[in-house]
Order: sequence, then C-alpha cells, then structure tokens
Amino acid sequence: MQQNDPLFHLEGLTVEIDGKPLLRDVSFDVSAGEMLCVIGESGAGKSTLLKALQGFLPATCRRLAFSPANIRVAGAVPAITGLPQSRWVMQDPLAALNPKLTLGTSIGESLHAQKLSAQACKSAVLEALSEVELGPDFYTRLPGQVSLGQAQRACLARALIARPKLIFFDEPLSALDALVQKKIARQMDALRHKTQTAFIVVTHDLSFAAAYADRILVLRQGQVEAYQSRDAFFDQPDSAYATELIGAARSLGTLPPARATA
Amino acid sequence: MTLADIQSQSSQKPSPLLRFSRRVLMGTGFGALALCFGFWATPYGPAEADFLNRLSPPTATHWFGTDHLGRDIGTRLLFGAFWSLGLSFVISLAGLLVGTLIGLVAGATGRLPDMVLMRITDSFFAFPELIAAVTFAGLFGPSTINLVIALSLVSWMKFTRLSRSLAKSIAEQDFVIQARLNGLPAGLILLRHILPNVIPSLLVLWTSSWSRTILAVSGLSFLGFGVQPPTAEWGAMLLDGKPYMQTAPHLMIFPGLAVLISVLVINLTGDRIRDLLAKTK
Amino acid sequence: MKHFLSRLPGLVMVLLGISLITFTLSYLAPGDRATAIAHARYPEEIAFPPELLQAIRDEFHLDAPFASQYLNWLGNVLRGDFGLSYSSQTPVWEIFTANLGETVTLAVSSLGLGLLVAFCLASLAVRNPGSWLDRGAVLLSSIGAAMPSYWLGLLLILGVAVHLGWAPSYGTGSLAHLVLPALTLAFWVMASQTRLLRSFMLEAGSQAFVETLRLRGIPEREIFVRHVLRHAMVPALTMIGLDLASLLEGAIIVELTFARSGLGSLLAGSVLSRDLPVVMFLVMFFATAYVVINSLVDAVQAASDPARNR
Repeated sequence: MQQNDPLFHLEGLTVEIDGKPLLRDVSFDVSAGEMLCVIGESGAGKSTLLKALQGFLPATCRRLAFSPANIRVAGAVPAITGLPQSRWVMQDPLAALNPKLTLGTSIGESLHAQKLSAQACKSAVLEALSEVELGPDFYTRLPGQVSLGQAQRACLARALIARPKLIFFDEPLSALDALVQKKIARQMDALRHKTQTAFIVVTHDLSFAAAYADRILVLRQGQVEAYQSRDAFFDQPDSAYATELIGAARSLGTLPPARATA
Repeated sequence: MTLADIQSQSSQKPSPLLRFSRRVLMGTGFGALALCFGFWATPYGPAEADFLNRLSPPTATHWFGTDHLGRDIGTRLLFGAFWSLGLSFVISLAGLLVGTLIGLVAGATGRLPDMVLMRITDSFFAFPELIAAVTFAGLFGPSTINLVIALSLVSWMKFTRLSRSLAKSIAEQDFVIQARLNGLPAGLILLRHILPNVIPSLLVLWTSSWSRTILAVSGLSFLGFGVQPPTAEWGAMLLDGKPYMQTAPHLMIFPGLAVLISVLVINLTGDRIRDLLAKTK
Repeated sequence: MKHFLSRLPGLVMVLLGISLITFTLSYLAPGDRATAIAHARYPEEIAFPPELLQAIRDEFHLDAPFASQYLNWLGNVLRGDFGLSYSSQTPVWEIFTANLGETVTLAVSSLGLGLLVAFCLASLAVRNPGSWLDRGAVLLSSIGAAMPSYWLGLLLILGVAVHLGWAPSYGTGSLAHLVLPALTLAFWVMASQTRLLRSFMLEAGSQAFVETLRLRGIPEREIFVRHVLRHAMVPALTMIGLDLASLLEGAIIVELTFARSGLGSLLAGSVLSRDLPVVMFLVMFFATAYVVINSLVDAVQAASDPARNR
C-alpha cells in the first residue's frame, strides 16, 4: 500500500452486454481534489464507464475501492443505484431538471438521504446557490425560466450541496455557448480547489483537459489508450492514437501549438 | 444584466398555456354560474306538467316551447345539463383516475405485472364502448346506474395506455435518473417527477373522453338503454319527443343542439390546450 | 411477418381475456337462464314445472361451477359451435350471417362516400392553408365530430324524408332505404377523416424534400399528386384501419335510429330478449374483429416502415 492511498481506485473494469464487450480492462486512480479527464470519440465507452460506476450497467472488476463510502470490492460491481458519497452532473441541464419543479426543490433532493428539516434544507440550498453565483431568487424559479448556463450551474449546486467526495461530469459544457462554457469551467475549477472534491470529467474537448485536468485517460473502442498526467500527455502521448488526437486539435486551433520540448 | 437574464425574466410572464387555462377556468365558472342562475330564475320545474299548454312552440313565457305533457323544455334542458354533462363528467373522471393508476403501476413496476396488466387492458380495449354499454345495460336492465357502470367499465383503458407509455419514457429521462441517484423512494419519484409531467397530456385526452362520453350517454339514453324518461337527460328528452317530431320539431331540435354545442365546446377547448402544449415542448 | 409472429402469444392472451370477460358478463346477468330458455322453447306456456326447469339446467350444465361452465362454452366456441338462439332455435351462426350483409353494406357505402368527400375537402383545404375554404373544412369537421349521429339521423328524416319526401325514412329493403342512414354515417366519416387527411397532407407538404422539388420548378400539381399524397396516404390508411371500431359503433347507432335490420338491431333485440347465445356471439365477434384488425394494421405498418424493422 502506498502511504498516499488514492480516494478512488479502479482496476480492470469490464462491461459486457449480450456478449459484446463495451469496456475492457479499464484502470485508474483519482485522489482528493484531483481532476481526471476521460477523453475519447463518441462510442468509445465514456458514458458506459459512468453508467457502470453508478450501477446502471452490469460490470465486473478486479478491484474497486472508494474509501469515503467504505467500498472495497472485487468481482461484480455492486448494482446499487448511485455510488454513495458521489454525484453526477449530466450533459443537458434542461433534461436533468424536472421542468415542473423549482430549482430549489430539485437541488434540495440531493439532500434527501440526510433527512434534514425543511428549514435546514432550504438554507443549505440557498448557500449552494450562492456558491455557484446564483441569487436566492433562483430558488423559486422553474427550469424553463432560466438560461442554459444558469440551469447547469443549478445542477452543479445540486451536486455540491451533498458535499460528495467525488463528482462525475458527463460532457458538462458541450450543451453551452462558448462564453458560458468558459465561465462555468472556471467556476468548476475554483470549487474543486475550495472543496477538495475529486472530479471525473468525461469530455471530448482537449482544450478543457489541457487547461484544467490533472490526469488524462484516453478511451478507444472500450480500451485504455493512454493514462498519463496532463503534462506528460500533451508532451509525450503514450499512444499513436493520442498523438493523432492532439495533432488534430492543434491543427484545428483548439489547442496552442506544441511547446518546445526539452 | 446579461442577455440571458433579460430573457429569463421576460419568460416569467404567464405562458399562453397558463393564460388559456385561466380563461378556461373562468369560462367554466361562468357556465356553472349561468346554470345556477337558470335554476333559480326559471319559474317551472322539470316535471311540472301543464296539460292546457301542450306542444307549444317557443313563446315569451316558454322560451324553448313545451313538450307533449306541457313541461317547459328550457327548464328540462337546464336539468338535462346536470344529467348529460354531469354523468359523463363522473364517468370520464373515474376512467381518468383508475386508468392512470393502472397505467402508472404497469409502467413503474416490473416486467411481469406490466405484461399482465397490459394484456388485461388490451382485452377490455377490444370491446367497442357502445357495444359493451348496450350489452351490459340491456342484460342488467336499462337504468341510469347500469349505464354509469357499463360506460365506466370501458372508459379507463385509453388512460392506462397513455399514462403507461408516458411514464415509461419519462422514467428514462435524466431528471428521474438524478432523483433515483439521490435515493428518492419509488413512490415519491412517481408522485413528484412522473405524475406532474404526465398530467397535461392526460387532461387533453380526458377532454376528448368527456365529450365522447356525453355522446355515448345521450345516445344510449335515446336508444332506451340509459337514463329513462321522464328524467330530463338530453337523449331521453329526444326519445320522449321523437313521436311528435313532425308536428312539434322543437321537442327534438333543442336537446340535440344542446348535445352538439356542449361536445363542440369541450372538443375545441381540448384541441386548443393540445396545440398550446405542443408549442411549449 | 416476424413482427406479427412475435405478437401472436399476446394476441392469443387478449382473445382469451375477451372470452373470459364476455362469459363473466353473461354469467353475472340477472334472471334465471333456465326460465329464459323455457320461455323461448314453449312460448305459449306461462308457468313451468320445476322438473322441466331442472331438466334444462342439466342439459345446459347451468348448475356447474363457473370455471367448468366457462371451459365448456369456450370449447364449443373453439370448435365453431356457437349454440342455438333461445328464441328462434336456429344456429347463432345463421342468424349472424343473415344480418351481417346489411351492416357491411351500410358501413362500406358510408365509408366510401365519407372518404371521397373528406379527400376532396382536405385536398382543397391544404392548397391554401388558412384560407376561408381551409377554415370552413376545419369547422365542418369539428361540427361533424361533435354531431350526435342519432340526432343528425332524425334531422335528415324530418327534412329529407318527411318534408321533401325524397327517400324513405325507416326500415330496410330497397336501395332507397340505404340513402339516409348512409348519409348520416358518411357525415361522421367525412368529419373525422377530413381533419386527419388535412393534417397528414400539411405535414407531408412541409417536408424538406417537397421544398427541394418546388425549387427545382416542378409544378405544384405534380408535387401534390406524386409526393404529398403518397406520403400522406400511409398514416391516413393506418388511422382509417384503427377507426373501424368507431365505424361499427356508428353503424349500430344509425341502424337503431333508422330501425334498419343489421348487427346493431340484432344485438339490441337479443339483449332485450335475453337471447344470451346471440349476445355472446356478437360481443365476441366485435371484440375479436377489433383485435384482429388492429394487429393486421400494426403488422402492415411495421412491414411498410423500414425504421421499425430492427
């Protein structure tokens, strides 16, 4: 055992549905306050990874350890809905919020398991709203009455309010406009450092990963292509596929040209 | 203030759907008031016969004329609204509640209950409303209560099908997944997340079910299988007036017109709500 | 075909459910069945000796428990034996076939007439959406959908038969007797189908490929006939298939209103005279016809829609 035990440790995750392997032998670690970016083209298994870890798909692994929830398993990943002490922020904020519920109620549901009084729940929601820079008037608004960026911030508040140790993000920015993307990305980064929460972010946006990730995991056809720290990844990718991805992003201008390597 | 903020504030104005719903509520209230005023204002009773003044065409004292027993047709139409609209309201409401309950249970529970419940629903669905009602009311004796039972038995399946398919598709949406991840119990998810999103479509279906039931109630009564004369149900009034069709056509024209107008108004209201709902989606 | 076969077990279960509901209904119906049968056999008698009633009960197994009576009846039905009518002592099947023709004639003639008018109205309406002609068509179909058919029948009798004397009002027989009932039912068909055809044509006409054809300078008439109509026909045919049950219901009301013979009058008459074998057969027939037609429509739709052939 290392003296610095990782917060979340996954070894050899495999997902098979109807005999078709969707994920094969995926392993990674995430420590507290760290951001891991999972990158890959659509169909590479990014969303499958999230769904399997949340108990929506049958999966097996060699070892899965998540210390805050006292989870230590080998073999079948427990099929309980939702990994305890974690939250999930989805791609489309408007689909992730019930159109008939006020933002306050939706956010408060994240505290359902804690059995708070209505008053305590409301003050916690208002605090979470202010953390994502939304005023108290958003408490009573419906999702149809806010902008897309505001809705995504409400989803962020819903995740943060439970003080989870780990938050999963599924393409959290891709439904938003560029300016809003920038704002929310910065906010995510600031909140991660403030709360020391670990983030696992599924994205196809290399520039986001280059700016904020600590480590990067590249998936291709259900298999790990590269798993490196950010700097190592952008300097010297582990695989030809990753080199190609970075090259494509550079020539498209979404990433700055290569730094001169020593 | 950013552009997004301005947009979000402007959309806090009541939506066209909400405004229309308010207008519908006001219209319904006004209609109910008018009915009550009619009951209060009419000097006649629904069964009050005046043999000296039989089959009178519309006059200043009898706005809609009198029937073969000298009863005031206007007054009977008012009471008929209570029977025709009220009975069908109750029947379709029962169908809405029972059907939705079964549909939600089928949609939210496992595969086996779903399969069994839907096969039962399909079996009931196969009986055309009127045929089932004629058979039931005929075999058990034509009466108001048997008409209500018969039509209720075949009124719920549409709601079951709709609520089940909607519940199934909503249950797969992200916000329901979030609620499940947050550990909400299934009952609360059904009540808070699924039901509110199913209700608008169910209401649209309910308006059409109500108007169809009005036609069925009055039609069956006209054919002798439902509400029996001398009760002033519109279809029963038609049946009463049929023998005098040639000499006093107003006996059959006004009750039929009442059915036509009520059904038309309910249908048009439902269509408008459906259009507005489709626009907001 | 594969789609249809996969639905077969469900279809069989639904048919069994239908038979169970039908039998339960007749089982629960009040009145002594033995007395009803005796009345039908010996119409002159008023009172019956208990021995005779008991003999009838034994003959028809009326004392047996529900389940065995049901299975007995179901077995007979599956063998094609629907029993004898209580009142006329003729096989139910013969009474049914004698009356089927009238109802089918009424339904088919009004369906044809109604569809023809609906088709013309809808085609004219979508030429110029929003015009007075379009609004008129929509209004007419709204009124038609809200019109109680029995009342329309009475109005037609009053106007056409009594005042103008152009057609006979009540009864069956000549072709002239068909005119008013068919008009009544056709009005309903016209109303429901105008609205459907109109919306399907509008939808087909607003698709991207139609716009492309317009830009290519293909005449409007040709676009309408060759593309819009063809695209609107498939959903419209499906809806017409699904509405057959309503058509049958409408036919029954119209038959009773005009005192025409047919399945509707047969059903009402047998229900009131408690001729249970006839009633049960008719109810089973309507329900089964509905289920089978629906499954066929479903299968045809699945076969014609490549997106659903997974």
